Amino acid sequence: MVDQHLRLDSDSKPGRLRAVKLKREWVGYGLTVPAYIWLCITVILPMIMMLYFSFLSRMPMGTAEPVLGLKQYATFFEKDFYRFLTWRSLLLGVHVTVLCGLIGYPAALVLARVVKGRWREAILLLIVLPFWSNALIRTFAWTMVLRTDGIVDQALHFLLPGAPSMGILYSYPAIVIGLTHSFLPYMILTCYISLQTIDDSLIEAGQALGASNITVFRRIILPLSLPGLMVGVILTFVPVVGAFMEPRILGGRQGFMLGTVIEDQFTEVFNWPLGAALSFMLLAIVMLIFLAAYPLLRNRLKVA
Amino acid sequence: MSSVNICQVSKRYGEVVALDHVSLTFGEREFFGLLGPSGSGKTTLLRSIAGFVEPTSGQILMEGTDISRVPTYKRNVGMVFQNYALFPHMTVYDNVAFPLSVRRVNETEIRKRVSEILELVQLSGYDKRRPRELSGGQQQRIALARALVSRPRVLLLDEPLGALDKNLRQRMQIELRQIQREVGITTVLVTHDQEEALTLSDRIAVFRKGEVVQMGSPDEVYERPRNAFAAEFFGATNFLKGRAAGTQGKAGVVALDGGEKVLTLDPLPEDGQAVTITVRPEKFAISAASGAAVGSDEAINNLPGEVLQPVYMGASVTYRVSVAGTELTVFQQNREAQRFQTSDKVNISWRACHSIALDQS
Amino acid sequence: MPYVRPLVSYGYLGTVLVFIYLPILIMMAMGFNQSSSYELPFHFDLVWYEHLSANEVLWRAGRNSVLLALASSAVSSVIGTMAALAFARYRLRGQVVLQLLLFPPMAMPWLILATAMLIFFYYSGIGRGLHAMLLAHVALSLPYVIIVVGARLRSFGQDLEEAAATLGADPWQTFFRVTLPMIAPGVAAAALFAFGISFDQFVTSYFLSPPGVSTLPVEIYASIRKGFTPEINAISTIIIIVSMLLLAVVSRFYRFGGTQ
Repeated sequence: MVDQHLRLDSDSKPGRLRAVKLKREWVGYGLTVPAYIWLCITVILPMIMMLYFSFLSRMPMGTAEPVLGLKQYATFFEKDFYRFLTWRSLLLGVHVTVLCGLIGYPAALVLARVVKGRWREAILLLIVLPFWSNALIRTFAWTMVLRTDGIVDQALHFLLPGAPSMGILYSYPAIVIGLTHSFLPYMILTCYISLQTIDDSLIEAGQALGASNITVFRRIILPLSLPGLMVGVILTFVPVVGAFMEPRILGGRQGFMLGTVIEDQFTEVFNWPLGAALSFMLLAIVMLIFLAAYPLLRNRLKVA
Repeated sequence: MSSVNICQVSKRYGEVVALDHVSLTFGEREFFGLLGPSGSGKTTLLRSIAGFVEPTSGQILMEGTDISRVPTYKRNVGMVFQNYALFPHMTVYDNVAFPLSVRRVNETEIRKRVSEILELVQLSGYDKRRPRELSGGQQQRIALARALVSRPRVLLLDEPLGALDKNLRQRMQIELRQIQREVGITTVLVTHDQEEALTLSDRIAVFRKGEVVQMGSPDEVYERPRNAFAAEFFGATNFLKGRAAGTQGKAGVVALDGGEKVLTLDPLPEDGQAVTITVRPEKFAISAASGAAVGSDEAINNLPGEVLQPVYMGASVTYRVSVAGTELTVFQQNREAQRFQTSDKVNISWRACHSIALDQS
Repeated sequence: MPYVRPLVSYGYLGTVLVFIYLPILIMMAMGFNQSSSYELPFHFDLVWYEHLSANEVLWRAGRNSVLLALASSAVSSVIGTMAALAFARYRLRGQVVLQLLLFPPMAMPWLILATAMLIFFYYSGIGRGLHAMLLAHVALSLPYVIIVVGARLRSFGQDLEEAAATLGADPWQTFFRVTLPMIAPGVAAAALFAFGISFDQFVTSYFLSPPGVSTLPVEIYASIRKGFTPEINAISTIIIIVSMLLLAVVSRFYRFGGTQ
């Protein structure tokens, strides 16, 4: 009753399975090849070249041959300006991250534990949508709001004609506001994910054991959601330190950060070696932050 | 129709030995149960037959041909997975037709065979449904139909009834056996549920740490366990430890540590050697202690005891009784008018032929 | 949680939502205002959209953006899905390292990547232009594609593919009839996501655009720096609606919040 063409391939030699197994492994590696070639061309080789550039003493054009050395890095460490710049960028990172955390964590808390049912997903979607849309346009939108004669200003003057100008565009606070607005949805998302995974029964158990609501929050919810908060903090801090678009648009002459200075080297000053060196200093800072936070990130990245 | 031979199959994962020189033969039309706790190697063996695991050494033969090197899709085995693995994006019809369509059987033939097999599992007319619309029992039957439709050489069942509740499981067990008999296919079942293995199998192999500890018919394996592990695996059992002490008539005598004598018809080692006797709880008879001294004779063992705790279980009562310095478990069918309470003095008796002397392993 | 009064909670959430959306809404509204210098009171007018339709430069940039996004989405979906399959279904040595290598585009400031690409492309002959931007956009969206498709692959394990093998399907049949249909929603979501990332991408496009060739975000940036008119609001409104719609569609295929 076994169909003719279902009979086993009795000609299969013992060596065939080894060949099949080998083939399978190669297929696996083969599938990853396009992606890694792409990464090579767009990330690995460029980074290597940029590293090389950072050791050049000048742009390789014209007659004078550039020399390999630590000139650019020396500039970074010697000139006060760059130290100040780094400090300023880091401070910006701190300000924005703290604000995002203070505003975002409670919002995530409400969303995760007060809002019920289908509203939850709908509101979460609403919050997250802007984050993935065009950052440039969102920043532009803030110029509308914050400039002198912008909406805030006009509305204020409409109500209180004698009030001073509220136009805070082209100032440090404007940059902070813009960046906070940019990253707030992302912070809310990461906090929400980790808050959401806290089982209701843990809270109920805490209450049954006599903990007041504040205690439940302090000793159960907060510690359990801390990893999510940390991830949000790190993944906000890093891009902010390297931001250049928002400082430029919202900061005007006040908008100089490590990011904008790097941008200048490539678009205005054409001192690519310096730009490269500065980029690597920025990268070094980013790496340090990641290393410090690696234990926390490791679990979350697997979840993602 | 076909038989499967497992010849000295071993599988090692680095230091871990999953299968240790296992040899088994599954006969034609036989329903064979692989029983054991998790990690004992039974699932590894099943997956080796399917082709997902390549044995480190040894051979797997189907109808005399070594298939150890043949890829899964050429082996023509039918397999039912624990979670059924029905294709969610296909209808019931497409699921069941799948093995035929990948073999490029023509449409008319497919339609005929699919409706035949659906009738066999009593789900005719469910063609257009999707797996998620079916109940657990129905999904299981579709999975079975799908595995059988291409008339494979052997049917492999990987704990297929695990996800069902008790009543459904028992009904499905009966149906499964019926279908298997009707189709007449060699079947290998992996389960950790000893009751299931006993109910369904023609023969059982008990696995432990990669080895087959005992193999035989359900009757053999249950009534005559070879060692303590096999004995304990089939539910509560009792152990009496002592030393061989000569004979009494046709029976061998085991002297327990407290001096009591237990008789058995099994062969015993030399006098003085350690012996463990096991007796199944349902083999005991429990009666009120009569005061008069009753000793063990050639056919019947008699020992006095005291009830520690009765447990009422509806159809039966389980007693924990203190006898000869150890605790015994006694099943009493709920037929006697008399039931015993804690601290009652009782008499435990059983036939000498039900004393099983275990290998000391 | 019963301790914070619902009103306060919802009120707070509402305020946050307002904070997030107000600037966007204002920006969109100003695109419909007649005044060229953003003066109130508000007169509804579509004049800026008319200007927009006549703006050659923006049209060209828009076309570039769309074509680039389509190409980038197609490429990164394909090679990303291939890589995701490799990670989820094959045991590769050094898999962890390989996966780690994918993270730079996600975690590093894009400024660094963009400048590095600029240097490398310039000196390796690749140069600047739409092709360079394509290289960059695909690189940036690859990690996301791999994560999204990978999650989908992991959600149904290898059971179905093993079942297909026992039923006689060879590896190709298994892939096309079982694996592919099952991951289709994930691939679709990833493709849309990649489209969105490319369409909105500013940093890399900015550094890799030669004079005369640009994408929409780059043009908008240039206009903002020069001094802008509500035409920019008009085009921005269109873009932001498009990208939010796109992401709303993606979210039907893939849950951001991790709820299944």
